[in-house]
Amino acid sequence: MALLRSSLLIARKDITQRIRDRSVFIWGLIAPFGLALIFSFVFNPVSDSEFHAEYVVVNEDGGPVADGFEAALANVEAGGIATIRSVESAEEARRQVEVGSDAFADEQLARADAAFLIPPGFSEGVLAGRGGELTVVGARGSELGAYVARAVAEGFVAELHAVDVAVKTVFPPGVEPTAEQVGALIPAAMAVASPIAVEDISAGTKQLDGTTQMTAGMGVFFVFFTVAFGVSGLLEERQYGTMTRLLAAPIRRESIILGKAITSFVLGVGSLAVLVVASTILLGAEWGDPLGVAVLVVAVVVSAMGVLAIVASVARTQEQAGMFASIVSLVFGLLGGTFFPVDQVGGVLSKVSLIAPHAWFLRGLGDLAGGEVAAIWPSVGALLTFGVVTSAGAWVFLKKAVTP
Amino acid sequence: MGVPEKGCDAVKALVIGANSVRRLLRDRANIFFVFMLPMLLILVLGAAFGGGSDPRMGIVAEGSGRLGAELADSVRQTEGVDVRDYPDKDALVVAVERGQLEAGLIIPVGYDDTLRGGGSVALEFVARTDPTSQALRNTVDSAAVRQGTLLRAAAFAESQGVMEFSDALELAGRVAEASPEVLVTQEAVGEPFVFQRLGTFDMGAYSQLLLFIFLTSMTGSSALIQSRRLGVSRRMLATPTSVGTILAGESLGRLAVALVQGLFIIFGSAIVFGVDWGDPVAAAAIVIVFSMGAAATGMLMGAVFKNDQQAGGLGVVIGLGLAALGGCMLPLSIMKLFSPGLWRVAHVTPHAWGIEAFEEIIIRDGTVADIGLQLAILAGFAAVVFVLATWRLRVALTRS
Amino acid sequence: MGEGSPEAVLRCEGLRKSYGGLVAVDGVGFHIAPGETYGLLGPNGAGKTTSISMIAGLLERDAGEVMVAGKPLTTRSTDAKRVVGLVPQDIAIYPDLTARENLSFFGRLYGMPKVELKQRVAEVLEIVGLADRAGDRAEEYSGGMKRRLNIGIGLLHRPRLLILDEPTVGVDPQSRNAILESVERLSVEGMAVLYTTHYMEEAERLCDRVAIIDSGKIVAEGTRRELVELVGQHDRVRLTATGDLKAAVDAACAIDGVKGADVIDGGIDFLADRAGDRLIEILTKVGASGVIVSSVRVEEPNLEAVFLHLTGKALRD
Repeated sequence: MALLRSSLLIARKDITQRIRDRSVFIWGLIAPFGLALIFSFVFNPVSDSEFHAEYVVVNEDGGPVADGFEAALANVEAGGIATIRSVESAEEARRQVEVGSDAFADEQLARADAAFLIPPGFSEGVLAGRGGELTVVGARGSELGAYVARAVAEGFVAELHAVDVAVKTVFPPGVEPTAEQVGALIPAAMAVASPIAVEDISAGTKQLDGTTQMTAGMGVFFVFFTVAFGVSGLLEERQYGTMTRLLAAPIRRESIILGKAITSFVLGVGSLAVLVVASTILLGAEWGDPLGVAVLVVAVVVSAMGVLAIVASVARTQEQAGMFASIVSLVFGLLGGTFFPVDQVGGVLSKVSLIAPHAWFLRGLGDLAGGEVAAIWPSVGALLTFGVVTSAGAWVFLKKAVTP
Repeated sequence: MGVPEKGCDAVKALVIGANSVRRLLRDRANIFFVFMLPMLLILVLGAAFGGGSDPRMGIVAEGSGRLGAELADSVRQTEGVDVRDYPDKDALVVAVERGQLEAGLIIPVGYDDTLRGGGSVALEFVARTDPTSQALRNTVDSAAVRQGTLLRAAAFAESQGVMEFSDALELAGRVAEASPEVLVTQEAVGEPFVFQRLGTFDMGAYSQLLLFIFLTSMTGSSALIQSRRLGVSRRMLATPTSVGTILAGESLGRLAVALVQGLFIIFGSAIVFGVDWGDPVAAAAIVIVFSMGAAATGMLMGAVFKNDQQAGGLGVVIGLGLAALGGCMLPLSIMKLFSPGLWRVAHVTPHAWGIEAFEEIIIRDGTVADIGLQLAILAGFAAVVFVLATWRLRVALTRS
Repeated sequence: MGEGSPEAVLRCEGLRKSYGGLVAVDGVGFHIAPGETYGLLGPNGAGKTTSISMIAGLLERDAGEVMVAGKPLTTRSTDAKRVVGLVPQDIAIYPDLTARENLSFFGRLYGMPKVELKQRVAEVLEIVGLADRAGDRAEEYSGGMKRRLNIGIGLLHRPRLLILDEPTVGVDPQSRNAILESVERLSVEGMAVLYTTHYMEEAERLCDRVAIIDSGKIVAEGTRRELVELVGQHDRVRLTATGDLKAAVDAACAIDGVKGADVIDGGIDFLADRAGDRLIEILTKVGASGVIVSSVRVEEPNLEAVFLHLTGKALRD
């Protein structure tokens, strides 16, 4: 294999040059790791924050229905999604909610995401069949907390109504039951299960946790730049004049291109591999099954090589190639969701994003996070197809680039 | 920015600056970075995230009959949830797993018939383990309880031996209409978050403006390095021109580029996307002072590094890193809410001060007078970095 | 050595290359024997580098044939290329590698075994005078050192044919002399050298035979003497003198072998065969006619003059 031998010689020389230049360390390791570190530092407090709401309840009624509502709230608290506190007055409750809506409020002040106001005479009215009113005061700026509060209140009210209707249905029309008769039937009515049950079917999480998502995004974004170092080496040989020597040497021309391809591959896979290991150890990133990650890394590097080879074959100088490569990598990176999760936006943008290899790499990792290694094959297939098609295109052009 | 001592030096600095702008604009690729990329980003970010962030729930209701459709409608009418229809369970589950939806609800085929026949059915609720997904469960629960009211009453009457299920169901309907319900009224207090008061593209626009001005200026480092490498800087130094003048000139060039970029983004986004930039004088003041700091930082990089590839890579890291820290990617108000410590760290970056200044003039209709502190801090940043850059460039040009 | 002699290291015939409608090389052919230094002399743009690129197998040719050490050489023939060494006109080295690394890399590309390579690298570093800087990166070298390394890489693998494309362009006089000396030494060692230049002095000093190339064609070929005789050039005797110059010219023109004379500003120019042999006679005649001679210079005809004669243009434009 004389072809492979000379290709490896060229690749080894290239890698020595790249290592000596040190730029590849900055683009391949320091940039993605540094940005992933900064991004997780900035975003993790938000994305890692468990939803937990602070609710206050003002019970100005004190009757049995109000107690029932407080019991329902206690259930919510037991579920762990909220803390419930009682406060004395509606004014105090509103003040705390107002504090809760202001991100810049003094941290010492008591705050709430929502308040439940039970007015005086609430139980009496409900029991007398006159209905009543519960007020939920939500904080603007804490939309989810207010939303959950309302859903809790509405659930309770719906239950109340269901029991009321059930009890009244037992009596023939025109018969007005006494309060005692109603009271006697309530426990039994409450015990009747609704014919509509809600079952959870757990969805696997086919998405990465915040830190891994950011590291993977930055990794794939910068691997395009790293791979570009290898591919544009072809133009560097021309700039240094050494292409002449390579052409005069007793080697086949294909081995020059192959040598650059090997360089790109080694740099790309190497930098991503270091990033995967380093982020796992230092940032606690969870990439998933090592074999699956390895396959995806190889596939995305192949696709990057193809795109950048086309760029290198179109460019006339190394600077031009660098510029073109940056533009292509940036546009693909943005569309492909390396900076923000375009895939999750849905709609046209999600579909457009699939022209970028970046999107497939991240989707593959997401699928891998779902636990099944086999789930990555569509992504790997897309990446490899992309790589093969672009490489084939580049091969035609690059042969022209291999001239003195 | 160092003011040249003599008029002659000012002319020289202008000449050097004009030369570096000419070199930058000659390359068409730079035009992409300086002008097209920021607009593209404002467009993509605005389209993607400008529409608010209501939790999204998918519903599969095919073949579930009238009761199924009613249930779907009652969920759809819930405020604060963005409901989308899905054709089948598989598509819905994948969408939830990929994070395209926060939750999903599957109403089974034959839902209507089964319930009317007195049977019970199970709705399927799909969610990930994260809190938003779980919170949506409450909506589904209350809709199910509401719909189950009559069915439950009928089942109860039947269990009490009063009448048949179908008769009881009919009676319950009439009873329910006659029974007043407890109302849940909602009121909201407090001010909405800063970004909720802005238009679709507004928040993206000023964050992107600052991010790109800084990022583009960082690439100025490679221009300075190339000048140095080509020996041009040293040749300039051989003419009676001081290091300060050379650097002021190169900085002026970068500043001019940053200002042109800033103007372009401001006018472009105002015209194309209708972005509101507040008081024009104040906006211009922020852009100028921020650009000065950015240009000086680019020069410092260019003075410290010898290799433009290395400076370029670190420029991207610093440009994006400071932007992320400074609140260009995550609104400062949210940052403060979740991590007050980080919010304080953010104010080390010029970006945070720039953003606060913009928020002051855009949201609170402030003028130059209201952003004096921010402008002063940005100017101070520029001055300190410029002095550092001059010192380093002098060392680099005269000692190596 | 006759045309197509079997022991020729390089034989090329009918080389032709055109770019679009422009014919850069049109029917170039010559041969070089072992130990012979062959010069390709011509102005910039004459087709020297294109010819060389075809001979070294860098460039596809439109027509023609190249045989190196009896084997045909094309862009794809790895065998024939093994015995050719090329020193490109522009410095072609990796600036971020050391001299030793540059040499080793290309040595391995030429398939040199490791042990031999190490020894040979040391040898070449001595030859080009870079032994003490072998571990420094090439970008730190002076222009002359880079030039020397550029040549060193070409002769590392002991080629039987070394092609040097204008190796002295832009080189300081001292380095230039060193380069010329090492080329002379190589041909003594039996290497065939193909040397292109537009410096006439270099061609005269180094080359056993010279081809004059212009507009893609070889217009004349031979030893210097052959070329000079081909175009019928004479030695030139230039006298600085005062007096009746006209009379002196008439007197001297009678001498056998003097082909002509002209009065020039402040002196006389004679054209003569073997001027050295006739100098005394000329001076005697001139002195006898009452002219006082203050200085004498004898110039042998050079390739520059030949070139001018053949192409009607100067070598350096």
